[in-house]
Amino acid sequence: MSKLSFRARALDAAKPLPIYRNRDLPDLTDCVSINRAVPQMPTGMEKEEETEHHLQRAISAQQVFREKKESMVIPVPEAESNVTYYDRLYKGEFRVPKQLIYIQPLGLDYELPDYDMDSEDETLLNRLNRKMELKPVQFETMMDRLEKASTNQLVTLQEAKLLLNEDDYLLKSVYDYWVRKRKNCRGPSLIPHIKQEKRDGSTNNDAYVAFRRRTEKMQTRKNRKNDEASYEKMLKLRREFSRTMSILEMIKKREKSKRELLHLTLEVVEKRYQIEDYSGEILNEVTAPLAEKPIYTAPISLPNGNRHKTESKIKSHKSGLKHMHPFTVKAEPHFDFVHSYKNYTKRPRLEVLRQPGRPERQPIINKADIKQYDFHSSGEEDYPLSPASEPDEENDPDGIFAFRRKAGCSYYAPLTEQSCAPHWQKTDQDQLWQRNCLTALSVPRRCTTVTCRRMGRGGRVLLDRTSSDLDRALRHLDPEMFYPSSESRVPDLPVHTNTNSHTFSTSSPQCSLTQILSDIKACRWKFFRPRPVQENSRGEDKKGTQQVQKSGVSPLSNGVSGGITEEQFQSHQQQLVQMHKQLKQQELQLNSTAPEPHTHPPNTVSSDCMSKTLDSARAHFAASAVVSTPNNENRPQGASVNGIFSNSGNFRQAKLNRSAPSGGPQLPVPQSLPHGRGHLSTVSAVSPAHTYHSARPCAPSALKLGSVASSLDRVSKVTPTSAIDSIARENHEPERLALNGLSETTVAMEVT
Amino acid sequence: MADLSGEVVEGCRLPVLRRNQDNENEWPLAEILSVKEIPGRKLYYVHYIDFNKRLDEWVTPDRLDLKKLQFPKKEAKTPTKNGLPGSRPSSPERDVRKSLDLNVQSASAPSRGKTLPTPKRKAEPVSLATQVTAATPVPSLPSSTETSQASVFPAIRDSFGIKSRDEHEPLTTNGTPRRLIPSQPGRKRKNCGGTDEMVKVFQNNSPRCSTIYLLPGEDSQDSSDGIPSAPRMTGSLVSDRSHDDIITRMKNIDCIELGRHRLKPWYFSPYPQELTTLPILYLCEFCLKYLKSLKCLQRHLTKCNLRHPPGNEIYRKGTISFFEIDGRKNKTYSQNLCLLAKCFLDHKTLYYDTDPFLFYVMTEYDLKGFHIVGYFSKEKESTEDYNVACILTLPPYQRRGYGKLLIEFSYELSKVEGRTGTPEKPLSDLGLLSYRSYWSQTILEILMDLKSENGERPQITINEISEITSVKKEDVISTLQYLNLINYYKGQYILTLAEEIVEGHERAMQKRHLRIDPKCLHFTPKDWSKRGKW
Repeated sequence: MSKLSFRARALDAAKPLPIYRNRDLPDLTDCVSINRAVPQMPTGMEKEEETEHHLQRAISAQQVFREKKESMVIPVPEAESNVTYYDRLYKGEFRVPKQLIYIQPLGLDYELPDYDMDSEDETLLNRLNRKMELKPVQFETMMDRLEKASTNQLVTLQEAKLLLNEDDYLLKSVYDYWVRKRKNCRGPSLIPHIKQEKRDGSTNNDAYVAFRRRTEKMQTRKNRKNDEASYEKMLKLRREFSRTMSILEMIKKREKSKRELLHLTLEVVEKRYQIEDYSGEILNEVTAPLAEKPIYTAPISLPNGNRHKTESKIKSHKSGLKHMHPFTVKAEPHFDFVHSYKNYTKRPRLEVLRQPGRPERQPIINKADIKQYDFHSSGEEDYPLSPASEPDEENDPDGIFAFRRKAGCSYYAPLTEQSCAPHWQKTDQDQLWQRNCLTALSVPRRCTTVTCRRMGRGGRVLLDRTSSDLDRALRHLDPEMFYPSSESRVPDLPVHTNTNSHTFSTSSPQCSLTQILSDIKACRWKFFRPRPVQENSRGEDKKGTQQVQKSGVSPLSNGVSGGITEEQFQSHQQQLVQMHKQLKQQELQLNSTAPEPHTHPPNTVSSDCMSKTLDSARAHFAASAVVSTPNNENRPQGASVNGIFSNSGNFRQAKLNRSAPSGGPQLPVPQSLPHGRGHLSTVSAVSPAHTYHSARPCAPSALKLGSVASSLDRVSKVTPTSAIDSIARENHEPERLALNGLSETTVAMEVT
Repeated sequence: MADLSGEVVEGCRLPVLRRNQDNENEWPLAEILSVKEIPGRKLYYVHYIDFNKRLDEWVTPDRLDLKKLQFPKKEAKTPTKNGLPGSRPSSPERDVRKSLDLNVQSASAPSRGKTLPTPKRKAEPVSLATQVTAATPVPSLPSSTETSQASVFPAIRDSFGIKSRDEHEPLTTNGTPRRLIPSQPGRKRKNCGGTDEMVKVFQNNSPRCSTIYLLPGEDSQDSSDGIPSAPRMTGSLVSDRSHDDIITRMKNIDCIELGRHRLKPWYFSPYPQELTTLPILYLCEFCLKYLKSLKCLQRHLTKCNLRHPPGNEIYRKGTISFFEIDGRKNKTYSQNLCLLAKCFLDHKTLYYDTDPFLFYVMTEYDLKGFHIVGYFSKEKESTEDYNVACILTLPPYQRRGYGKLLIEFSYELSKVEGRTGTPEKPLSDLGLLSYRSYWSQTILEILMDLKSENGERPQITINEISEITSVKKEDVISTLQYLNLINYYKGQYILTLAEEIVEGHERAMQKRHLRIDPKCLHFTPKDWSKRGKW
């Protein structure tokens, strides 16, 4: 019926095909030739391979036998499964969990080195282990880091040091070994890697380059803006994470240091016990010289038991970050943990020299420590430069005198409304006294008007003069007599102070260097900012000043600064408390004592027991810095306060000078603060004010103070009611005061 | 003999002794691909013609039948190439190189003092290949030789770069051009020698040529190789072997130790070059990291806590599990897996990253963990209905039904996705056999299960078969054809089940114990078009 010439229809996939058994269709064979109508499907193999001998043989075998025959199998290279040491190699057992295994998308990334030690390394390790304990993983981590840090060029030994943070001997051995091994290594790296493509396309045909990027894939349909935004968000997130990392890292270090401190303290106690130093005499003996010249840069680096204290200060300091100004944040890079941690006895000194404190230099300091966290990349925290002076000074013209932040100090934002002269003029007496005081200079012995002292760059002390209605009286004030002004507020202004203290004015070159030097040696510049205690009422002003007088006298009469009696201290504190209350009543929002950058740098607030009234209180009581010579052996308690103003000749000067001429005798109110017991003495803020006739209003009255004071520790105990919140110290490197070349330690204190 | 052995160079053909599965000696014709000298003797890398490349091996001179040595003939190969592809003994690259070298020869001849059997032709490929082998650790050597020439004669080079191509034009039909032409996505390699293509090539190439002589490093390989065209970016297999060169034609790893097993690789794999000289390359059984020594592996195992492939287990029945690994999320593992797989898959390409692929790793559990048995990869989004990109059962597990299990699993996934699929082409010989076997069994299973209703003959459409099995229609048809089931009878197509087919099927199914249980599959397909598949 069917003709062979007949052409079959195309096979229709949608058409049902009836299924027959061959036996049911005896006449099927007649129709076989039609099969060619169905197009032959390709096998899907490469033509060349399709004809391969073994395949053909296998195919035909299958067609003939309908099952595989052993000998017709396509031969393949043999595989063995008899690794005898398998069980020793893969140790332990793995229990199959009941649930299907599910991998968390963000699996924990174990920070384990990619580098795997070989037998050669093991030899070295064994050798090293004779001298020290070095775990294989530790070694691998070192190799891993070295390997990953080097590209075409090997890392240098210096880089390796930063990278590895191991002790020198170990580092050197491993580094040398690594360099040798690396040189003998055939491959590009000791950790074998798949060859990467090169951008220039030169590797397009390199058979060993694999897993190239699909470059065209970047054509994205997505909204570009969206991409950018999310990219930025990711960047921000990353930055924040890295900051968190840094902070955690620092915390880690801090805690480590704490632990070490604890151990050291314990050790000290044990030692004391052994040598039966129950009274602490020996300890004092030993620690005395240390206390004489404490050079502190990084709080962690404090050489002795102070460390603990300082650290806690940092903590509080840090905890206070949020509500403080970005300024404080800035201080962080100074926590130079890494460096100071190891060689804290020597390093800080160098550190200080190297740190001009310019923000742009700061990243260097902690680079090794935090570089991996991208700590500085955050653009939002640009260091607010001190608006103090010379806005045109861009490139660190201050050299070593550049302002630098102190660890443990809190810096407050400038209060703009108080920092400009017009406002000052508007302020009443009350506010005037809050930041200013009557000042006299001792070297050109003159009485200035009401001034505000602040520390300029390089430790120069600047006096900002303010005009007031007292100016007229002040103008006639005799600096020698220096006593009660028209209002007789300060009856007892210390003559000593006058003689002892020196302001060095750059505008008075007649001062001989030796004189300055001697002045400096003996000098204590005491400064106090008197406050009108009760709301503008004279009587209360007097009260305040009287109190101040008392305390102001004694240090002077002692001949030693800071020598005040217990009584005085008590009364003073009472006064302080009172003043606090008054202040609160007034609800004065006085957050800072002065135009911030000017006054504050020398002031260190370390908030041991930071009270809420601190700010306003501080506004009332001047915090002052104590400058003391470390070589003042005879004054172990050497607590001196220098309150010195100098006019830096900035833009404000003109205004001030203009307002200054009407200078009258002012009321310098010295104030001394209690100092702690022991030779780790308290700082007393004694501020004898020197009146100064501002005879030269136009003079660039940048006054430099070379003042040296002996070292101070801290107020060791503060009563709860005490107005003294804390005293922190800061040091100025001796070298920094090029003027006198003497070491100068400034201890600032906050009084509330 | 000895005097002749010096003349056995790359490209020569001669019978080489090999032992077949039945342990009989045979002397198949083989081509010498490479010669290397190790202290004391020479070794020859031979490719047995009409045998798969995986049987290529290094042989000692005593296995060569030097009496029947045929030197490579210049033109002889061209017709064979065109008509009967046979093996790929002389790679197309050689043609190009040859003609290039003819140009270079005047310049380079002095430096190559080698006596050549047929000096007139192919001086170059010979010495070139020698260099390659001599410098196994430094495979860039051939190019560097050329580089030096190139840098000496940059201007000349530029001009003859073009010239050589002109010469090639007539050869277009000889298969040479295909290596010059960037592969066409989705197209099977053909001798598509259109001049249009050539023009395109020149357009692409000419700007390069003008600058290229300054970059000899790039030039050397590229110019000899056509243009440095990047292969297509979809798929996982190369059908275009234009990038084949002598390096990739030769196995580079001697032995791989993986868990309990020692595997002899079948093909080239781009493991780091410094590791290719090792007698044994050690792999971590679970993360597949490559290590240079047992000690390193030991150390690695103290740090590697994997006991299963680092992905989600989407299937478990008995000891068999499947893990799904995203090539984008778990790059290291995916790459390591690909490197291992490349050892056994000739056509697999590792040119591009693993991002657009998912990897399904089949494991067998024992107390030590989940041991990899095989895997297949799959494009997250395939434009060509591919449901498998590469598929491999590791040699120790071959011929035990695991391959079919892998295939079955891949179709189970397609069933869940509700679409039909087909493996990416080209198939290998083993791939073809496995797939045919799977398709046959699957289709026969369906056909034999069909019961007649109402006394009528059971019937089924090809589309229905395809839908039930997720096997792509074309594969169904080809299987029906292969099994000779489809017949034209009385004006219509019918399916006929021959007795021997039925019997064979029943026997095979009795032996097929390993089956995928769809109930154990926990798989939700993802719409990758809405995700970043790359």
